[in-house]
Amino acid sequence: MAFAYLIPAAFGGVAWGILGGALPGISPSITMALLLPFTYGMDSTVAVVLLASTYVGAEYGGSIPAILIGTPGTNAAAATVIDGYQMKRQGKAGEALGISLYSGFVGGLFGLLVLVLLTERLSSVALAFTPSSYFALGILGLSVIASLAGDSLLKGLIAGVLGLMVATVGTDPVTGLNRFTFGSPDLLSGIPPILVMVGLFAVSEMLVQTNAPDWEKATHESARIRFPTPALWKRIAIPQAIGSFIGAFEGMVPGAGGAISSFLAYNEARRWSKHPDEFGHGSPEGVAAPEAANNTVACTALVPMLSLGIPSSNSAAVLLGGFLMHELVPGPMLFVQHGEVVRGLYTGLFIANVAMLIIGYIIMGPCIWLVSRPKPYLMAFIYALVVSGVYAFQANLFNVGVALAFGVVGYALRLFKVPFLPMVLGVVLGFMVESNYRRALVLSNGDPTTFLRNPISAALLATAVIILAGSLLRQAKTRADAR
Amino acid sequence: MSRDLLFGFATLAIAVVYYALTSMIPPSDLADPIGPQGLPRVYAFVLAALSILLIVRSLRTGRTPEPRTTAPRNHQSARVAGMLLIGVAYILVVPYLGYLVSVAMLIAVTTYLQGGAVNGRTLLVALSGAALFWAIFIWLLRIQYPAGLWPSLI
Repeated sequence: MAFAYLIPAAFGGVAWGILGGALPGISPSITMALLLPFTYGMDSTVAVVLLASTYVGAEYGGSIPAILIGTPGTNAAAATVIDGYQMKRQGKAGEALGISLYSGFVGGLFGLLVLVLLTERLSSVALAFTPSSYFALGILGLSVIASLAGDSLLKGLIAGVLGLMVATVGTDPVTGLNRFTFGSPDLLSGIPPILVMVGLFAVSEMLVQTNAPDWEKATHESARIRFPTPALWKRIAIPQAIGSFIGAFEGMVPGAGGAISSFLAYNEARRWSKHPDEFGHGSPEGVAAPEAANNTVACTALVPMLSLGIPSSNSAAVLLGGFLMHELVPGPMLFVQHGEVVRGLYTGLFIANVAMLIIGYIIMGPCIWLVSRPKPYLMAFIYALVVSGVYAFQANLFNVGVALAFGVVGYALRLFKVPFLPMVLGVVLGFMVESNYRRALVLSNGDPTTFLRNPISAALLATAVIILAGSLLRQAKTRADAR
Repeated sequence: MSRDLLFGFATLAIAVVYYALTSMIPPSDLADPIGPQGLPRVYAFVLAALSILLIVRSLRTGRTPEPRTTAPRNHQSARVAGMLLIGVAYILVVPYLGYLVSVAMLIAVTTYLQGGAVNGRTLLVALSGAALFWAIFIWLLRIQYPAGLWPSLI
């Protein structure tokens, strides 16, 4: 297989991925799944490079609407909205997009390095994960709520519980019974987090913007993509490192995915920042950390997939489908029997990360141009994009209604000044927390100490407690300073 | 009534209704020690407890009247409701009018509601926008959107 074929495959995959990731409602996995049938007749290495490059592009593409319209194109880009959209509102859209692109590039290369070095060696870590470990991982993710709650921890916790409640809708993970479905077949598989996110982020923002004055237009100068200056590069280096390391670990853990890692990275970047007060108000570090994290995940998520055949995310599952379609069975034998495919994939992913930098720059121009359009037209197009994208998710009009309903919920939460990011986290993590909590108890004959006896789960739970305690102390200190 | 107090009562009501709904989950012989109602009931209790805490806190500190400037006025609420109605209308008409016509109407009506003028430019933007979305989702991504009644009329 000629090396030359990898280049168009990587560039094409990245372009397709950015396009799909940038469309709210079109997740990376859908973007990859749409491409899957077209790879059937291709050379197997070209096919897997095309699919993996799409994943890389989509993870970055999700940040474009997150920054430009305050709507994450993917779950993993949700954390980018917090500061990315604030930067856009301050007329720094080009700078935010530049930080996102550059941080994604750095994270992607780091993830690739981890993938190459540790794929076989670290597979034992993923193997050691039990249901109690997964439960503890979910709790660790939920502990971030304390930091996302803003001024009111109480209201943040309420929003988090509301999210956990939403996650209970659908088929019970252990018994298979229907819960809160009211006889509707559309609710049997639960409420997909992407609908909740589109509703809470996009629809509620549209409703708020309905009565808002025309937003600030990006000038030609400010709309031009700006890569970080040396001073900014120095400032975002640590958040990038934090995001890359968290993304590397979370990506390898089945079930964790980009959303958890980006929120954790955001939280840790704020904790370690010299300017924590700027977070939530347009901090460049708040864009760099989650973007580095989710692009690292796009590579390290392939570690358990390649070494054990365990897809750690929906996108990895689609990629696994691509492997199996070409009769490539992931696992230790893959490296022996099809070493050239694995090496081709590594090479392709390197090209994809470079391609992301180039294609991301080219595609950014038209995206930034969109920000400067008259508000009524832009709002109308966003609305059309939302209803079209949500329908495209499962070709179901019911989903459009669900997204609108969550738009009303988001609008109400905004009116009551309740942060809705904890709710998103509850929805994303709810199923994982409940299913693994119950499975762990079944396996331990109802012994709750199983969560502390397992070293991995004990370590994860201890980390969650430290994060919670740190957040509470920080809030107490802030209140004391205010007095 | 303060904003927090109202929110506290609303979430307390949600907790009560949600708890009541857990009793509608049928029993199962396959149930584990926690069961399908287990964690939902815990969530309901936690939500109720947090809501009561919020109510108590807002009763203790809520004497100061809140500024009313952020609350939407009637005409603003009407515009928000209008945006939602556009979405609901889209869901209702798209099976009959098809994707292309429905999305063009959605763009045109939303533009008007957002303060855009009713003129040829808006119509042109709506039609070209619909064509663009059709090209992306149907032609490029090959997603099967409702075609409406048009095929049966041809």
